[in-house]
Amino acid sequence: MKEDRITVLNALRNGDLFTRLSAVFMGAGMLGHRQIVKGVLVLLLEVAFFVFMATSGLHNLGMLPSLGTEAQGEVWNEAKQIYEYTAGDNSQQILLAGVVTCFVIVGFVALWILQMRHSYKLQKLIEDGKEVPTLREDIKNLFNGNLHMTLMTLPCIGILIFNVVPLVYMISMAFTTYSKEGEHLILFDWDGINQFLRVLNMNGNIGRQFWHVLGWTIIWAVFATFLNYILGMVLAMVINRKDTKGKAFWRFCFVLSIAVPQFVTLMIMNIMLQPSGAINVLLMNAGLITEPIPFWTNTMLARITIIVINLWVGIPYTMLQVTGILQNIPGELYEAARMDGAGPVKVFFKITLPYMLFVTTPYLIASFVGNINNFNIIYLLSGGGPTMVGDTAGQTDLLVTWLYKLTIDQQYYNLGAVIGIMTFVILTIVTLVTYRNSSSYKNEEAFM
Amino acid sequence: MENQMAKNTMSPRRRIVNILVHVLLGILAIIWVLPIVWIVLTSFRAEPGAYTTTFLPQGYTLNNYIKLLTDRNVLNFPKMFTNTLIISIISCVISTFFVLSVAYSLSRMRFKFRKPYMNMAMILGLFPGFMTMIAQYFILKSMGLTEGASIRIGLIVVYCACTGLGFQISKGFFDTIPRSIDEAAIIDGATQWQVFTRITLPLSKPIVIYTVMTAFIAPWVDFIFAKVLCRANADQFTVAIGLWNMLQKEYIYQWYTCFAAGAVLISIPIAILFLYMQRFYVEGMSGAVKG
Amino acid sequence: MATLSLRHIQKIYPMRDEDKKERKKQKKKGEETIEKTYSLKVTEEGVVAVDDFNLEIADREFIVIVGPSGCGKSTTMRMVAGLEDITRGELYINGKLMNDVDPKDRDIAMVFQNYALYPHMSVKQNLEFPLELRKVPKDEMEQKVQWAAEILGITPYLHRKPKALSGGQRQRVAIGRAIVRDPQVLLMDEPLSNLDAKLRNQMRAEIIKLRQRLNATFIYVTHDQTEAMTLGDRIVIMRDGDVQQIGTPTEVFDHPVNLFVAGFIGMPQMNLFDGELVLRDGKYAVRCDDAEIVLSEDKQKNLADRNAQPQKVVIGVRPEHITLDKVEGAMIEGVVDVSEMMGSSVHLHVNVGGKDCIIIAPRLDLEGGGLADGSKVRFTFAPNAVHVFDPETEKNLEFA
Repeated sequence: MKEDRITVLNALRNGDLFTRLSAVFMGAGMLGHRQIVKGVLVLLLEVAFFVFMATSGLHNLGMLPSLGTEAQGEVWNEAKQIYEYTAGDNSQQILLAGVVTCFVIVGFVALWILQMRHSYKLQKLIEDGKEVPTLREDIKNLFNGNLHMTLMTLPCIGILIFNVVPLVYMISMAFTTYSKEGEHLILFDWDGINQFLRVLNMNGNIGRQFWHVLGWTIIWAVFATFLNYILGMVLAMVINRKDTKGKAFWRFCFVLSIAVPQFVTLMIMNIMLQPSGAINVLLMNAGLITEPIPFWTNTMLARITIIVINLWVGIPYTMLQVTGILQNIPGELYEAARMDGAGPVKVFFKITLPYMLFVTTPYLIASFVGNINNFNIIYLLSGGGPTMVGDTAGQTDLLVTWLYKLTIDQQYYNLGAVIGIMTFVILTIVTLVTYRNSSSYKNEEAFM
Repeated sequence: MENQMAKNTMSPRRRIVNILVHVLLGILAIIWVLPIVWIVLTSFRAEPGAYTTTFLPQGYTLNNYIKLLTDRNVLNFPKMFTNTLIISIISCVISTFFVLSVAYSLSRMRFKFRKPYMNMAMILGLFPGFMTMIAQYFILKSMGLTEGASIRIGLIVVYCACTGLGFQISKGFFDTIPRSIDEAAIIDGATQWQVFTRITLPLSKPIVIYTVMTAFIAPWVDFIFAKVLCRANADQFTVAIGLWNMLQKEYIYQWYTCFAAGAVLISIPIAILFLYMQRFYVEGMSGAVKG
Repeated sequence: MATLSLRHIQKIYPMRDEDKKERKKQKKKGEETIEKTYSLKVTEEGVVAVDDFNLEIADREFIVIVGPSGCGKSTTMRMVAGLEDITRGELYINGKLMNDVDPKDRDIAMVFQNYALYPHMSVKQNLEFPLELRKVPKDEMEQKVQWAAEILGITPYLHRKPKALSGGQRQRVAIGRAIVRDPQVLLMDEPLSNLDAKLRNQMRAEIIKLRQRLNATFIYVTHDQTEAMTLGDRIVIMRDGDVQQIGTPTEVFDHPVNLFVAGFIGMPQMNLFDGELVLRDGKYAVRCDDAEIVLSEDKQKNLADRNAQPQKVVIGVRPEHITLDKVEGAMIEGVVDVSEMMGSSVHLHVNVGGKDCIIIAPRLDLEGGGLADGSKVRFTFAPNAVHVFDPETEKNLEFA
């Protein structure tokens, strides 16, 4: 069996004239094996690729190692009696073009491999005396056996262009000097792992801020995830109690807050908690306090406020998601516990919580990731503040909001990219560790 | 009340617990509803400014709404509204198609790229979304989609392009539809495309509605990418940027109550949609098609 | 007109990489590999679900494939349907190779165990769906739906959704959807196992009637030997991916080729005794305890043809072929453990030398209509109903 598997190697070894010819003239195998239209298309793609490489691709690649050398210059034009600007190299464009070219090359290689295999397959079909699918049958098959190609091509192209390419581009940016620091906004150079060292170095200014922000990010994510989870579950259980009257009404009260767009509620909360905002006014009018509470200017208070407001935002969500699952807990489990004389608290920790953790581990991981990347809540509530003088990161900044500030506000693009990569690394570790240790991974049938 | 309680054979202890629970729920409900009530009240407040010395408005008026919907000079809210509406309708159609297509392919078709795709989606999901924003901007710029009216196209492209990564909920739902229904259809003579459009989609109404709505709402609540892409092009602003701007220093005094009005206006349709789709959301979470 | 021919059909599920790793790990640990999936063969390529299946099916024949769960019977049917790829071998329908033909172009229909009705369509739409996909004209479609609905007696429910139907009604709709386009081959995958016992008997009768009205060739998969015996023109008995025996119900009942078939077909199961095959005066006889029974003429011939030598054997006798007797002599003795009154007959659970055996005795033969527990009985076998099996190969010595 192994000898006639369809691989590129076998295609080169056992291929007929046309199949081998496709190694140079792509599509030749299809043209020679009765698939004219496809063959022409592939050949055209090859031509297009070489035209692209000749006109700009090779140049793009050539510029990649240096990222451009010509600074924008001023030349005194004697005749016109003015300074003229000469166009310099724009490193950021060079980098982008280089990354795109690399992707084009990878795509071309993939196409080459595919068409080699396909040519060989066609050749074998003919050798075995079987029918070669006509263009019509191929198109028909795109809506039947190959429907996934039809359905997924566009989404994949979208993801490739607007997610993968940008990611690679940003990751490569982390290894450059692209930053406002030292005037490297137009012309910058490769910088190795210097920026990473800078971020990880606890003694430097940036490094100190990084560890600081990282610490708070993790504290925040843990609190936000688990408090929301447990309190949301308790709320769902309280509402679903047998003796609770007006279940639908209570549920409605809480669900209403989800219905208001999050960014609106967050902005309102921000205003309400200002020194002269509604909450302080309400409390002062009631005579409970004399001075406004500094919700956003005191570090500790700001952090607590954010976590509490996140509870306000998140609990109804958890309640909604958890209600259905709670009702699925087998009743016998509760009955057995009650027979053993367990009180409500014990039942919660011995039965409800383990069961829920078992079922909802993926959800928990997702919400943990979501919280680490929770941009809106910080940006709209505290804006990351309060900020110490000389710092780029505020006391309540998460890695994402700091990333935003570094790139959009400060234009420290390379540092921003490093922070992004660090966030990814941390999330990967957390996800893998929790997933590996979760009971739903270890033992799939514990509760079933 | 007393009578009713007495009828139920509750022990005194249980009755006290029960009353306490209801009181607690009442307090919590007030905490959750109060900010919403406050914003509705503010939208009708007669006196301007973000900060007042009283919690409740002193006078009520409809002028905030009138100003919001008619003033086209300072912040052109009607224009923003139409901008957002156009963007959200188009991107809703495209991204719904993307999400459902990917979800169906992953749930029902078997191909080599399937597992790698799912792993890739998980990995890409771990990168902070804003990391790619700058690069996306540069790519759109090189496509010429960052100037003038083409900003709208740029926004649509960005809102749709990566939706293929958010297939999980829909796929989970499709997975609950028994395989044999598909197989029956295939033997009855359906192609995969017909199975998708005539069997799976009609059977997945809840999740289709859920997908459509999330896709529709996204452009209304995204302000960050819209801000980056629109920069100072005021006539391309979406509602979210408009509302955001109303709270900036230069506008807040004049526009705060209008902001409240705008918030109420866009919240109402979203709230109605949400309350309507809530049961689908819950169903989608638990999966509910049986053969 | 539809003849089918399955030649050397084989289905191998390639092992996933994870499974391979798992096996290696277990081998390293020195643990015995526990096969979760029954005792299917595992080769380099993967798990062999169906191995070398050969069958020629005549036009309008009713074939039943029967076997315990996991024996590969459903896989075989799904390969005929085109829902599974055929790893090796050829499938012909009317002489045409069908291996790579789409299910929709094979002119087959299938009834699923869980009905697989389209929940969002009414019964009528369910029936119309296959016709619609084949672009049958409107009036012809109407006519065919009427015809199918009448045959199955579902006309009153045409406008209901499947959810509003009972299990039996749903199964009728499922069958209706299969016959409405008059397929050449009708596949049924355990169609009755979701129904209760009474409905099952009723539907079984209906399927027999249905068969007479259709021109289709039937392939029917079940794990229930009663269904197999009552419905099939021929029965295919499978186990662990291998065909054990193919034959008419009488053939497989009267001449089981091995212990597995002998045990699988027939209710209650065949009784098995340890014994010996002996040659006495040139005649084959079986010895059990002290009893010796000389076999009937045709069995003598079969054994002589295969030149069977005296050896230890397993003797198989169906409960209905054991006769109680009071005559002294070549008899086996046992003690009644339990006697079950079944109406016209009594099932006696008899302990013979520590082994349980079942005897079906007509009530008329028993004085007072029964036997007290603990009473002694003596019995003998009908000489033409004794099967002798090799204890090693488990094969029937008559056909080995």
